[in-house]
Amino acid sequence: MRVEYINPFVESAYNVLTEVLQADVERGELYLKSQAMPMLGVAAIVGLAGDVEGRVLFDMELSTGINVASAMLASMDMEGVTELNDMARATITELANMITGQAVTKLHNLGFKFDLTPPAIFSGQNMEVSDPDFEALIVPMGLPMGKIEINVAVRERA
Amino acid sequence: MATATVEPTGNETEVVEDVQVQEIADFKMVTFTLAGKDYGIDIMQVKEIAKFTRFTYVPNTPTFVRGVYNLRGDIISIIDLRLLFNLPAQQKGEDEPENGLILRLENTLLGIVVDSIDRVVSIPSSQVQPPHPIFGDINIKYISGVAERDERLYIILDIERVFGREAEEERTAIERASVAISNAATVDPVSQSAAQVEQTHDAASADDSAVQRSFLVEGLQAFVGFEVSPSNKDWFENRFASWTSERKRAGQDAQFGNAEEARQFLQTFTSRCTGRLWDSAYANEVAAALPEIADNIVHVWNPGCASGEESYSLAALISKRYPGKQVKIWASDNDLLKISNAPNLVFNKSEVPAEWHDLLVEGKNGFSFATELKNSILFEFSDLLTGTGLPKMDIVVTRDVLSYMKPSQQTNLFEQIDDRLKTGGVLMLGDNEVPPTEAALTRLQTKTAAMFQLR
Repeated sequence: MRVEYINPFVESAYNVLTEVLQADVERGELYLKSQAMPMLGVAAIVGLAGDVEGRVLFDMELSTGINVASAMLASMDMEGVTELNDMARATITELANMITGQAVTKLHNLGFKFDLTPPAIFSGQNMEVSDPDFEALIVPMGLPMGKIEINVAVRERA
Repeated sequence: MATATVEPTGNETEVVEDVQVQEIADFKMVTFTLAGKDYGIDIMQVKEIAKFTRFTYVPNTPTFVRGVYNLRGDIISIIDLRLLFNLPAQQKGEDEPENGLILRLENTLLGIVVDSIDRVVSIPSSQVQPPHPIFGDINIKYISGVAERDERLYIILDIERVFGREAEEERTAIERASVAISNAATVDPVSQSAAQVEQTHDAASADDSAVQRSFLVEGLQAFVGFEVSPSNKDWFENRFASWTSERKRAGQDAQFGNAEEARQFLQTFTSRCTGRLWDSAYANEVAAALPEIADNIVHVWNPGCASGEESYSLAALISKRYPGKQVKIWASDNDLLKISNAPNLVFNKSEVPAEWHDLLVEGKNGFSFATELKNSILFEFSDLLTGTGLPKMDIVVTRDVLSYMKPSQQTNLFEQIDDRLKTGGVLMLGDNEVPPTEAALTRLQTKTAAMFQLR
């Protein structure tokens, strides 16, 4: 993972989460993972393509997902959610979009050009994610609603 | 039998503190002495405290095995901890009872003989500190922690490790030492012990150096993560000889007391110009040994680049060595802090070799390399354990990296190097490292730099 890519993702995740959820966000220690890794339960994925290719995955437990979605909805004076329904999915998708979008803007300013794919949401039990040729950077973010792990696997196009 | 003791409090002012400590005192250990020092064993592993008399001697066993003992119908082996740890053992008369503990080890019972049993001490497990080599008598890997209580320092032994299977080798080595001790006559045990140890050293110095060597190898691993392996064995053997004689002259034990000493040992290992820009002598030596390259782009892989000085040096010397060619360097390290600063390194002009001054530009914080050269290096945060889709390389530079990896990781890195290096490509290792013998590499003629060409 090229070092220039790391900070934009960490910063934008921190900024967006703090701002949108109006909560204290705790940045965990960054680390690398390369083998298949278990996922927590709900994951939003955003793909990147261009000078840089890869994907960003926002991974959280189901309860965290529901709490985060409720908190976001509450900040817009809307009713919270109690299960992972369409509204909850759309909200989490939006969060993923905001974070990735901000990171990509920062990277564009540094001179890297690439596009995003629309986010997709995965949910279920006992899922694993693996990309054999990537080393993924894990950015753990601690929130009052639970933990979100941002899993960034990005590389230069060969 | 063991009874939990309530610690007496010295004076009134300490009462409050003491109560707090007792509230969470969740770790109990049976304490005892060996050669005047205090040791502890987790009470969960102690079945009972006993006095042993009349062991039945068993022939052809290591000396520290005192024999077998009939414990109310169960036959258990008795091990003398003092002999096992090479400590002076007080000789007792035939019918005098020995102090001991009966330990529960997985499913077996085992008796150990010690100098004297002290008491049961309760402490909060948070107060147990990780082992620190304050006492050189016992190999650090047998110690699970150190705890202080009433101004006494207890060394907590890791019984599973002491008697576990992996201790087998050490035991045979220690056995030799204990033979000498047990053979000695029953004079005054304390004053005698030092002399015995000396004797042992002289009598079996060849064996002894094997024990020393294994202690140093373990010390390097524990203190600084340095692995003695075939890639640095030659250096280690030389250094081992000079180190032991150096320390002997200074009247010190060859074993490391702390990480600082382990680093001292490695002083002669570290390659030239580590952690700074290379000086012109080193850069020229390396540049001179590099073969001609046909391609228009020079691909370089620099795993384990730390804070990046090495990568900049490479970029500069390679661009000077191959004028007109494009240089591309993939540099990586698994230390996030170090590698994060690498893209923005600034230098004092005085530390940059004069022939590279034309590559520098002045910024507000100091001199740095020009954008073109900077852009030729790609710094990556990576732990090297996966292939990351890199192209074939003309040059691979990984100095003093292999030696700090576990053997399995070393193999992995070597496979990757083997995979990525072009035929005729050059591998550069640390000044005191060599590649595995089976690799098809020929050493290039240099003064000290360790450079190898793939056949």
